[in-house]
Amino acid sequence: MKWISQEVETYLNAKEYVDTAVVPLYSVAIGGEMKESAEAAEFIGLLTTHLERQFTGRILLFPPFTYLKNDSGEKVLGELKNWEVNILEAEFKHVFYITSDIEWRTRENELDGAVIWVPSIPLEQMNDSQKLKMMDSQVKQLLALFTQKWHQKA
Amino acid sequence: MSKERVSRRQFLSYTLTGVGGFMAAGMLMPMVRFAVDPVLKAEAGGDFIATPKKVSELTDEPVRVDFTFKQKDAWYESDVTESAWVYKDGDKIIALSPVCKHLGCTVNWNSDKEHPEQFFCPCHYGRYTKDGTNIPGTPPLHPLDVYPYKEKDGFLYLGKAKPRKEA
Repeated sequence: MKWISQEVETYLNAKEYVDTAVVPLYSVAIGGEMKESAEAAEFIGLLTTHLERQFTGRILLFPPFTYLKNDSGEKVLGELKNWEVNILEAEFKHVFYITSDIEWRTRENELDGAVIWVPSIPLEQMNDSQKLKMMDSQVKQLLALFTQKWHQKA
Repeated sequence: MSKERVSRRQFLSYTLTGVGGFMAAGMLMPMVRFAVDPVLKAEAGGDFIATPKKVSELTDEPVRVDFTFKQKDAWYESDVTESAWVYKDGDKIIALSPVCKHLGCTVNWNSDKEHPEQFFCPCHYGRYTKDGTNIPGTPPLHPLDVYPYKEKDGFLYLGKAKPRKEA
């Protein structure tokens, strides 16, 4: 379910079935790396949209957690932890973070949720059907990962 | 000049009736138009959307067919991609919507090893038989929606998915 009023309402009525929160992590760089930063955000945005389509009935796609790239790692981690505490309090059993910022791999152990790091692929050269195909294969790989996690803690 | 002269009074009353009639018609016409509007409206959902799939390529094994169309959401127009599971049943084509009737996940064909030859929803393990009928005991309560289809120039065209009657 997406973060729009209509679907959040569906979520509130079907809470017992929706036990997974997906939070995209966007790193925002201002200045020289602006383009790469936007590219990554675009990629993660498209990927999470597709993921949501596959798993509509079991995940709630949160609005992206956005932070400045040159902010200190501790501060960003602290803030995300705060999100996590709130999400887990609200009857979610699983939390997935989807990002293409490599920094999160080192911070993963400090979080309860699973960090899924996906290297960003530039989309500007692709046409729509190529994009669709690529997202499809990415989502298929994530599908295995998600179902595995769900089985573990079922 | 005819013998019966039109008097000033008659002339004025004719003109007034004429102008008044036009004004009344101008006011009434839009109202009538509004009243009968639902009747005049073209049947929505009658549009068929082209898919890149050739009908001759279809077999009795369901394949995923993606198709894209434009959707207008307020002032924002976007391309929406939808999918269908399509296969041939004799000489009939069956096009099923992949949207699970439980909570809307996307179902996959033949992806659960324990239950082959079925549509499987990975979210809450809902299952459907090949013809889209929900299997009792799994979460979905309705069969999968069906797309009406058309064949044009060898390609498959799909309409708007329609829910089916209870199986």
